[in-house]
Amino acid sequence: MTRTTPFRALICALAVSTALPAMAQNTITGDSVGPADAKQTLTFRMTTDGPRNNEPALAEGYGKLFNEFVARHPGWKIELQMMSGDIGQEQARMLEQSKSGNAPDCAAVDSFVLPLFKKAGVLSSFSPYFKKEEIDQLFPFIRDGVTGTDGKIYAWWWSTDLRVLYRNKAIIPDAPQTWDETKKAALASVDQGMEGILFNGSRYEGTTFDWLANFWGQGGKLVDDAGKPIFGEGEDRAKFVKAVNYYRDLVESGAAPKRVATIGNYDDFNAAAAAGTTALFVGGNWQMSQLKTTLEPEDLANWTFSPLPGPTKDQRSTGTGGWTVASFAKDPAKVEMCANLAREIYMGPANELQQQLPTRADLYDKYPVFSTPENKAFAEALKVGQARPGAPVYPEISNQIQIMMGKVLTGSQPTDAAVDEAFKASLDAFKRL
Amino acid sequence: MKASTSERIGDVLSYLFMLVIFAFFAWPLLWLLSLALRTRKEVFLGVSRFIPKAPTLDNFITILSSDKFAGYLWNALKLSSLSALGCLVVALPAAYAFSRFEFRGKGAWMMALLSVQMISPLVIMVPLYRYMASIGLTDSHFGATMVYIALAVPMVTWILKGTIDGIPATLDEAAMIDGCSRFGVFLRVILPLSTPGIASAFIISVIGGWSQFLVPFLLITKESLTPIGVGIFQYAGTQNDSSIQLLAAACLVSVVPAIIAFLALQRLILGALTAGAVKG
Amino acid sequence: MPPASAITALPNAAAPARARQKPRVAPWLLPLILVLGLFYLYPVFDVFRLALTRATLLGDEGGYTFATLAQTLSRPEIPGILGVTATFTLASVFSQQLLGLFIALVVVRGEKRRLFGTTIVRTTALIAWVVPGIAGGIIWKMLFNEAPFGGLNSLLRLMGASPVQWLSDPNLVMWSVVVSNVWRGTAFSMVVMYAALKAIDPVLYEAASVDGATARQRLFHVTLPQLRSAILVNMILITIQTLNTFDAIISLTGGGPGRSTEVLSLYTFNVVFRNYDLASGAVLSILMLIISLGLALIYAAFLPKGEER
Repeated sequence: MTRTTPFRALICALAVSTALPAMAQNTITGDSVGPADAKQTLTFRMTTDGPRNNEPALAEGYGKLFNEFVARHPGWKIELQMMSGDIGQEQARMLEQSKSGNAPDCAAVDSFVLPLFKKAGVLSSFSPYFKKEEIDQLFPFIRDGVTGTDGKIYAWWWSTDLRVLYRNKAIIPDAPQTWDETKKAALASVDQGMEGILFNGSRYEGTTFDWLANFWGQGGKLVDDAGKPIFGEGEDRAKFVKAVNYYRDLVESGAAPKRVATIGNYDDFNAAAAAGTTALFVGGNWQMSQLKTTLEPEDLANWTFSPLPGPTKDQRSTGTGGWTVASFAKDPAKVEMCANLAREIYMGPANELQQQLPTRADLYDKYPVFSTPENKAFAEALKVGQARPGAPVYPEISNQIQIMMGKVLTGSQPTDAAVDEAFKASLDAFKRL
Repeated sequence: MKASTSERIGDVLSYLFMLVIFAFFAWPLLWLLSLALRTRKEVFLGVSRFIPKAPTLDNFITILSSDKFAGYLWNALKLSSLSALGCLVVALPAAYAFSRFEFRGKGAWMMALLSVQMISPLVIMVPLYRYMASIGLTDSHFGATMVYIALAVPMVTWILKGTIDGIPATLDEAAMIDGCSRFGVFLRVILPLSTPGIASAFIISVIGGWSQFLVPFLLITKESLTPIGVGIFQYAGTQNDSSIQLLAAACLVSVVPAIIAFLALQRLILGALTAGAVKG
Repeated sequence: MPPASAITALPNAAAPARARQKPRVAPWLLPLILVLGLFYLYPVFDVFRLALTRATLLGDEGGYTFATLAQTLSRPEIPGILGVTATFTLASVFSQQLLGLFIALVVVRGEKRRLFGTTIVRTTALIAWVVPGIAGGIIWKMLFNEAPFGGLNSLLRLMGASPVQWLSDPNLVMWSVVVSNVWRGTAFSMVVMYAALKAIDPVLYEAASVDGATARQRLFHVTLPQLRSAILVNMILITIQTLNTFDAIISLTGGGPGRSTEVLSLYTFNVVFRNYDLASGAVLSILMLIISLGLALIYAAFLPKGEER
């Protein structure tokens, strides 16, 4: 008898849950949005930036946007598909599916894999469906990111993010502007019982991306115009090694704890901030709102952020990422509907809903949420923003930088040797592609 | 009595061992529970707090009230139990043949069978996807079930062969003298006597199917057909929308049906124990 | 129902007189061959074919060539990766086998003595197995977290011990990864060992007690010899599984720091899903097949031959 109890409990729980008051009317629960008998169907594969968001208010907000969208476009329904967490696997799956003609008509594509998709020739151009004025409003690095070699645009990049230096003002009163100041501030915080400065340093895309600002700030380049890795040659190599040694020195001097070599998740910084063990970390702009929900108000008041430091005050940069919407469809009507979806749901309304930074200057003025001092500061920092290079070899360069960083931060290999190895492996990968 | 003293010492040692093992396996699971009971606010505290200050069942309610989640569970249950059944149907006769018959190249056949399982499923998935797409078996539970079976059947055949090896062949002979056909022997003698092995093979293939990720990930795109192993990623969130608390709750709930299946099937193994007592 | 009387009537009788006429094997194997042939053989074949191309996920395969084979196997990181794979596989397989056997032995003993908690122990181990890989990764990352508030390090601190660099020490990290993998994988061995223990004829134990054997003698002279083939088969199966495992590692360390925990299957994953290099991936998976096959043949050499039935 006792054996059946858990099962019965589950059944009860399910029964109770279905008896809960019906969800708000805009929430989208089924596989599709729009009339079931609609003649045309657009399949859309999305992330949690959509009606399946885990935050009920956001899911509701997106639900409203999607319902309004299909109401404006009679004869259409949208079939929703969810994307899994692993970007590498997800993109590989979409490549395979597009080859056999089973790719979704419309999909969320991470901005940094866009170059691969452009190269594979699986995307349909959005150029006919966006006005030149709309395209001209995009930040330059965004415009470059979505433009193919033929000058047409192949995706709509609607949200962006960037990295900043968070600090606890009670311990570090002034924003460090340079690498030296950062090290001094971190060491000072260690004297006050903190762990020191935290940053991503494990096998994780964020490790490369967050650190690259230190290389870019000096004017370094990872690849040339043909997409060939050049970071291990000449001046670029010197800049690269200098930026790696900055991180290495932080760990070896004790300004950063050894555990940075294991950090591969921005949430870890929130945890350390909440536990009061750090006063300084390199994080993403989205973490400000997470800190707001996590910290007690009196602690939160101490936390602020500033642009990432550079070797000198003027050599600054920050990595910018974000998501795009792109179309795999061959049918022009579907491509157009996908472009409409990008424009009417994501370009603007979704930015406002989720408070994700827009990719067009004019939208910052259009929506009041982006005129808060914080968002203004983020928008200001975006001016030195740099996206990851639009080269198909980038994922492997990133992988090699992560491997190199692990060896350097744990002190198991000299910087020069580790950099040369990473460069050689990246070149080899470039030749294979 | 000396024997009973040593038995008692054995009991104490057994308890100690079980305690250590229990701690090893349960401690991480308690952390998972801790995450699942947190609010969005507390989840960012990560490992710095074990017992949530404001524990909440909201995450479980969110999971259980989502119509999707029940669907994911049902799909996983359907795929894993059908494929486990299919696996037995396919593997049992083969295991019997491998155990009882002498034929040329038997060892090589068995190794060849196993080597199917040795090729990295990671790599095989790409040609598999192309193949299944070309014969129109993507987005189909039938197609996925057959692939699950193909993936698990070598291992299951080996396990079952081991079980059948343990049944004295003299029983076959006796039954055949009594006028049973080979198939009759298989059905009436071998199957009932190998219940413990069958049950454990079934458990292993149900759980293997339950935790499949790559196959359904590639072969199934319709949300209404998605099993839990893939569906659970709906709760994983993105880097700027952390929802580990929901993911943890989803993981815990997703474990429940598999555990129920295990507890139920375990009786079959225990049932065999009583059969053993009878024969003793 | 089985003729229970037949069992008691014929205990261990040696009856070498085998089937009078040679039975037909084909019909028994047909379902197996059909399922594998229809749904799996072509993809397997295709892996071998792809190893001889330059196929990527992005474009065409080009012509047939041995270049991929040579280039992939001569990459400078391969020896290091094979070393990491060997450590990980050996440590995981032996720990899982031993722990699984011990748990099964204690559980069986506990059931006989009607001790409390055997089901709880077994079920807990099983939950660890069923919990999705991503959850296992998240939890172990928390436990091994090296922050002052990390799961294990804060316990150590309470006990006055110094913190341990679970994941950032390149020499220690492999053992942390093995622990998490053993946590997840032991239940499989436990289930197999448990079923094998249950299948041992109680008559053997009775005979042993009649001879006045101690518990230790019973273990070494009855239980272990009876389990021999089950243990070997289990070892073959978990070796294959361990060689193919990467999800626990990917979420715990991603293969780092550096390449300290990058096993062959994780490397293959990176090659296929980050480099989109399908041909090299195919070469690596054939390499994995050869390693598995070699190990399986070694284990199989220890299998009892010419069944003593």
